[in-house]
Amino acid sequence: MTKWLHILYMLGAILSLSACKDVFNNLYDDEHQEVVLKEGQLYIDASSWTDWHYINFNTTTDNVVKVGIPVEPLISEDTESSENSDNSESSDNSEDTHPSGIYTYWYDVFGEGLDNHKFHSFTPTAPQPDPENWHIAVHRNNVRTNGGEVLETSYWMMEQLPESSEAFKDSTFTADVWNELDVWVVKEQMLQGYIGNQGIKVNPVLSSWLKVEIPPMPPLFTRNSHIFIVHFPDDTYAALQLENYMNNKGIKCCLTINYKYPY
Amino acid sequence: MKYYILYILLTGVTPMCHAQENDSTFYLNDVVVTGTRTPKLLKDTPIQTRLITAADIEKVDATNVVDLMQQELPGVEFSYAMNQQLHLNFSGFGGQSILFLVDGERLAGETLDDVDFTRLNMANIERIEIVKGASSALYGSNAGGGVINLITKEGTKPWTLNANWHFAPRNTRQEYLWNTKGKKFRNMLNISNNNNDSYHLKNASNPATQVVSTVYGDSCWSIKDQLTYTPTDRLKIIGRLGYFEHEVTRTIDAPDLYRDFSSGLRMLWNLSKQDNLDLAYTFDQYDKSVHYGITDKSFRQYSNSQNTVRGVYSHNFRGGDILTVGADYLYDYLMNKNLEGETCDQNVYDAFAQYDWLVNPKWEVVGAMRYDHFSEGKNSRFTPKLSARYQPKENLNLRFGYGMGFRAPSLKERYYNFDMAGIWIVNGNPNLKAEVSHNFNVSADYTKGNYNITASAYYNDVENKLTTGIPHYAQAESKQLYLDYINLDNYSVYGGDVTIQARWDNGFSARLAYAYTNERIPHDKDGNNINNQYIPARHHSLTARADWDKQFTRRYGLRLSINGRFLSSVKNEAYVNYYDITKGVNTVRYPAYTLWKLSVVQRFGTAFKLTLAADNLLNYRPKYYYFNSPMTEGFTFMSTFSLDVERLFKQRK
Repeated sequence: MTKWLHILYMLGAILSLSACKDVFNNLYDDEHQEVVLKEGQLYIDASSWTDWHYINFNTTTDNVVKVGIPVEPLISEDTESSENSDNSESSDNSEDTHPSGIYTYWYDVFGEGLDNHKFHSFTPTAPQPDPENWHIAVHRNNVRTNGGEVLETSYWMMEQLPESSEAFKDSTFTADVWNELDVWVVKEQMLQGYIGNQGIKVNPVLSSWLKVEIPPMPPLFTRNSHIFIVHFPDDTYAALQLENYMNNKGIKCCLTINYKYPY
Repeated sequence: MKYYILYILLTGVTPMCHAQENDSTFYLNDVVVTGTRTPKLLKDTPIQTRLITAADIEKVDATNVVDLMQQELPGVEFSYAMNQQLHLNFSGFGGQSILFLVDGERLAGETLDDVDFTRLNMANIERIEIVKGASSALYGSNAGGGVINLITKEGTKPWTLNANWHFAPRNTRQEYLWNTKGKKFRNMLNISNNNNDSYHLKNASNPATQVVSTVYGDSCWSIKDQLTYTPTDRLKIIGRLGYFEHEVTRTIDAPDLYRDFSSGLRMLWNLSKQDNLDLAYTFDQYDKSVHYGITDKSFRQYSNSQNTVRGVYSHNFRGGDILTVGADYLYDYLMNKNLEGETCDQNVYDAFAQYDWLVNPKWEVVGAMRYDHFSEGKNSRFTPKLSARYQPKENLNLRFGYGMGFRAPSLKERYYNFDMAGIWIVNGNPNLKAEVSHNFNVSADYTKGNYNITASAYYNDVENKLTTGIPHYAQAESKQLYLDYINLDNYSVYGGDVTIQARWDNGFSARLAYAYTNERIPHDKDGNNINNQYIPARHHSLTARADWDKQFTRRYGLRLSINGRFLSSVKNEAYVNYYDITKGVNTVRYPAYTLWKLSVVQRFGTAFKLTLAADNLLNYRPKYYYFNSPMTEGFTFMSTFSLDVERLFKQRK
């Protein structure tokens, strides 16, 4: 009996050899399959460094508008680099007092990380051209609102949310704030630690749905699966959740968003 | 003597059991096969071979092959490459030019340029044979810097079951080895699991180059089974199957998954007292994929499968000469999402012959030559090797030789097109030539009483080294950098090493080994500095080990071991500005360091063994965790518990 078992084993080994090329094929999924969206989901390939994607929750189709970020200088000369100036913590939150343009910073990407940075230069560009009607705009891991304010809840399933936004009326919401450190748009000198950032207002709370950390290198992406409530100037509310930040090919910042609007 | 060797080869009985006492101290009567592809006693092989035995592995208390090689062999350094893939530098040659074999078979796949070292677990290793210097005349491509052959265990007892559990602050490991043996069949099953936690490292400010701040955790499973059928005392058939899975969490929601399936069938046939035939078929597939936890989907980026058929015939002449002839066929298939068209394949044919001429009892000369043909690029390569051994006295051996090595451009190096995070596009080059090395070596080993000393020196002239060149823009106005694979200008690697070993009757033994390596940093064909992708070899390195072993009573024994290594500082060149190479290169200095480990092995009866080890005794913590720094956080305590189940039953009897 044992002898026959051994012979069977040998035959099994020989048969397995006949696979010759690929014995694991059935273990994997087809990356060419399209992302299948459920009711109340949006998919946006926001991986481009130079595009903002504007979302209007009122339109059910074609609701994402891609707008290129102006990176070409308005004036041909860059301002002088300044070793000591760091404008990133300006208390003035107004876009009017901050000229539009590319704020290039040096980041200690191979050392202490993003927290250690230094202003390098400024290149004035045209302001960001916004479309007429939009609610939020996404660029990689950055999110803006159209005059809205955002609250992070402790909910992580849409079905768990209270029936209406009334439940959050007394909560403290956070408006968009000026930022010239996080909206990375120019990567040509990245290996030297220099990254060009678009100076623009973004919402720090909603942007926290996808955190990018350096160190480590390559950067660590962490998804925050909490649901965020956005209060818009027209007194409407939206509930938003980042469901996924990668596509089937593993490209990061391809966002699948769960949304409920109006909420 | 040759019948003794043949007996060992066919029965699989471990050579140590037969070693004569006076030579067993330094394993000189152990059989090695890698240098000539025929079994030879270590003391008689004309090709200088370094042997690491299972006993050495146990003494070093190595957790994996990386630990083992660094602790046992001076001139070995593993460092990180991109994405914390491990890269080997062994006496000035990178992992691409050191051929790793398991029971004589190549491994499919690569991590970045090296084999996946996590596949090489130590649980079922009987011995490791290391042959430095070009060996392409017997092994073909990738053997320019040497061959490292891991020989697995074959059970000799009716049954054994060994279990090992290892615990360290960031590492747990469990290994099971089960052997059964009948009249004609024997089987060896090995299951192992290794887990490492992620951890963060604190670097000081202003590092000179890239540092590591987070070491990625991983989890690895390996299952191997080998069945040996010996229908007659002249025929042995070996079937084997293996599965390996390695998960590395570089991205929390999308861990990388490495899989390998290997199988093989081998027949060793003793045709007559003089003639032996070795036929083998091997299949090995290595995959890289990502598992997306959010969607529970797995997508494959890379797959390399290799089918190899081999035949080796050897004839032993009456005077002691041996003729060996053989041929291989390899079908190499590559799927890589970064290849144009995603897949490519090639056929590799080769034939080789070797004549081992025992001129007289003092002189032995071995000549080998090999012809390889690669269908992709229609590359052909002829490689010779000539080695000699002179034994003026019984305890003194002098060896010298010349060998040619080569490395054919891989399918990746020919056809790659990879956007590296937007930094640059790594570009394959279909016009690459094979990298060729000419190796000249000389060595001597001398044994007297309790002492053995080995010294060797080598010089390598390397032509057309394959690597990535200078980053460049395709057009002047372009903002996209490209990094092409190129052939570099000639350069040299030379060095030498000395090993002194001693063993006394009172249970003490010691080994001290020093290596000097000079790896000249090559330039491109126009004489330009290149950004050396990997950190070159350190000039000076030293490994040391001392043991004391005593069996106090029938039920209690103790072994104390201390081992350590020292590596000198090394310099490498990096561009001041990758986007403007006219600004030249910076010299980055990587500091020297030394690490020491103390282990105490307690044997309780014959079945239980408890190892307690204190690693990094001097509490060394790098100021900067550069890619070639030890990723240690300081002093660490670890323990291993080992149980031989079959001995429990014997004890009861």
